[in-house]
Amino acid sequence: MRDVAIIGAGITPCKGRWVEKTYYGLAQWAVKEAIADAKISIKDVDAAVYGIYNDIFELSAIPEHPLQGIIGMTNKPGMRITCGGATGAYAMLTAYTWVASGLYDIVIALGVEKCTDCFDFESKTSTPEVIKTIGWSGDTFFERELGWTASDSYAEVVLAYMDEHPGDLKDEVSAKISEILCEHVQNNPYGQRYGEKVTAEMAMNSRYIVYPFKLLETCVYTEGAGAIIFASMDKAKAICKNSGHPIIKVAGVGASNEHNVAGRDDRHKIMHRILSDHLAAKAAYKMAGIKNPLKEIQVVELHDAFIKQLQITMAEMGFVPLGRADDLIEEGIMTQGGPVLVNPSGGLTYGGHFVGGSNMFSCWSARRELIKRGLDRALIHGTGSTIAQYGVAMVIERRS
Amino acid sequence: MADKVIPLHMIPDVQSEVIERDGKRYLQSNESMFTFYKRSKGEFSKYFLGLKEEKKIYGAKCPKCGLVRVPPFMLFCPDCDFAELEVIEVAQEGVMNSTPPITYFGHSLMQHQVPFGRGRVMLDGADTALPIHVYTTKGVLTPRVFKRGTRVKVVFRNDRIGNPRDVFAVPIDEVPENKRRVKGLQENDLDWLSPAEPRIPAATPEAQKTHESVVQQLIAMASQAAGSDRAKKDLAGWKRTIQVKTAGGAFGLKIDDGKLAVEPKGFDRPDLVMIAADPRLFSDWMNSKESLTNAIIAEKLWISHNKEFTTVFKLDRVPRSLRRTQK
Repeated sequence: MRDVAIIGAGITPCKGRWVEKTYYGLAQWAVKEAIADAKISIKDVDAAVYGIYNDIFELSAIPEHPLQGIIGMTNKPGMRITCGGATGAYAMLTAYTWVASGLYDIVIALGVEKCTDCFDFESKTSTPEVIKTIGWSGDTFFERELGWTASDSYAEVVLAYMDEHPGDLKDEVSAKISEILCEHVQNNPYGQRYGEKVTAEMAMNSRYIVYPFKLLETCVYTEGAGAIIFASMDKAKAICKNSGHPIIKVAGVGASNEHNVAGRDDRHKIMHRILSDHLAAKAAYKMAGIKNPLKEIQVVELHDAFIKQLQITMAEMGFVPLGRADDLIEEGIMTQGGPVLVNPSGGLTYGGHFVGGSNMFSCWSARRELIKRGLDRALIHGTGSTIAQYGVAMVIERRS
Repeated sequence: MADKVIPLHMIPDVQSEVIERDGKRYLQSNESMFTFYKRSKGEFSKYFLGLKEEKKIYGAKCPKCGLVRVPPFMLFCPDCDFAELEVIEVAQEGVMNSTPPITYFGHSLMQHQVPFGRGRVMLDGADTALPIHVYTTKGVLTPRVFKRGTRVKVVFRNDRIGNPRDVFAVPIDEVPENKRRVKGLQENDLDWLSPAEPRIPAATPEAQKTHESVVQQLIAMASQAAGSDRAKKDLAGWKRTIQVKTAGGAFGLKIDDGKLAVEPKGFDRPDLVMIAADPRLFSDWMNSKESLTNAIIAEKLWISHNKEFTTVFKLDRVPRSLRRTQK
């Protein structure tokens, strides 16, 4: 396997709805930004990997096909990845693999999603129809008819964790994390809730959508796009010399998919664990040579579909012990001046969640923080599918 | 008319409209993505026919490792070189595998069924958990009803079509003792008495004073809402009369297609009744210190119809929208 680096990244502003843009326009915009960032031509790119989660959002069973030409990739390889919430992370993993294998030298991973065109004509709002559309992702024989949603599915895992660790995930802690993420998004002008102020008290008092998830501790729905360009190390050295950006090496990757049925042991889903996150991070750490993530990773861009899930994932990835996820706040792990900067983009709760590209958004932010703050190492995480079944982790390092 | 696979009221007319943003015009049109199916349940047919016709629950047992999977979501064991599984009948009692979530904001096909719980029951003798709706016979579903380990009884709907919704679970201690071991227990075998309207404490001068203050605050909020596009959008297309009762008195709230109004004398035949012993709940709600949804969950607020959670959601948006408008 060859060493691989990230040489460019671009995202669109995140909005609850882009009336002014189709997903074609958003995709082209993100690619244009990434190419400009890397200071290369799209002609230099050998292949494309598309992260588009849900056919129904885009009204097409092959939603990537119109993008090939408009992003300048005519007659080159292009493949779509769809893996629920972890679509973007799996798309980046694929792009990385294509380069690491030696098959291609430069590959662009493009994630895009348009979701709030969906509209419920009864309530005259988008959200119920967006939730229904995501609801088509659940098991179609035994669960969908029961009203499966992404929220109640992740809530199952969180409640099971709370059964196992009854003193953890206190509401006050989750609310404080929400406040911190809101503060972070003020440093991200592309963030959906840039300019909005949410305090811990407001998060604490916001209404439940699915018990135990509250509105201000839940990710937003976003329309947008993000693109990350991966290159072989040889190519990256030349390109980064020209662009003036430091080389950001992909030091470790890992992924895991659990069973979708709950059972008594790990032959099926253990409901109180997010084992996929644990196994994905473990593999990425091994590849990157990381022994103690708390001491060796400075930035985490984590897929915070829900704040309490963020806390469990941080525990599964080794930053706090399982059962003591509240240490993130109570021991100052992710508070200002703490050892780990978590979701400086504002995360999916405040920054934005355009599903197929949300993990590109996280990668864009993690790379930005390494460069801007002169830090060494960051972890990017994606989760997805029913009951947090899929987990993907990627470690990146600043090299010059 | 028989139920339709797509409810007719959800289907919009063919039309388009122009939306303006920053002085530019954008066209949007009503569209849909639909496909109809005659979908085979294939190898799962015995399970679903068991629900529909026999009021039995089937699982699949591996002859090698002995694992019993319920529902029988496959018929060959991947842990034992795909040994063929034996379909067996399983118990109709068990325990909650974990605390089930309760959905208060459902998707568009489930908006009128909230709040509902969807949990997983480990039936006696099974090694995997059956996804299932959970209900209580005691009124509104709140988080205190079901926990991990709560012993439950599976109940069959009176009308079944071979669907996961043909069965649901209730706490077994809500089932009369002589019916707890009955197989194929149906919903009409249980007592589903509606909970009585909660009693309000006797009025005190202090509560009356608070109540009057709340009414004045609500009138002011309704006035603000009339000047907020966000708030008007929250209530657009919705019409309800709501009788609100507290220990300090009663008043009416009226939602009329984007407008919110206070009727100090209330309504004789409201669409919905809300009861909160403490009138300060509504001050807290207006000041974003409490949501009406959360108050229902905490059993500080009672509403007369479960389906009117939709109205509660719409009202809950208003203080937030006013805050954003002011910002």
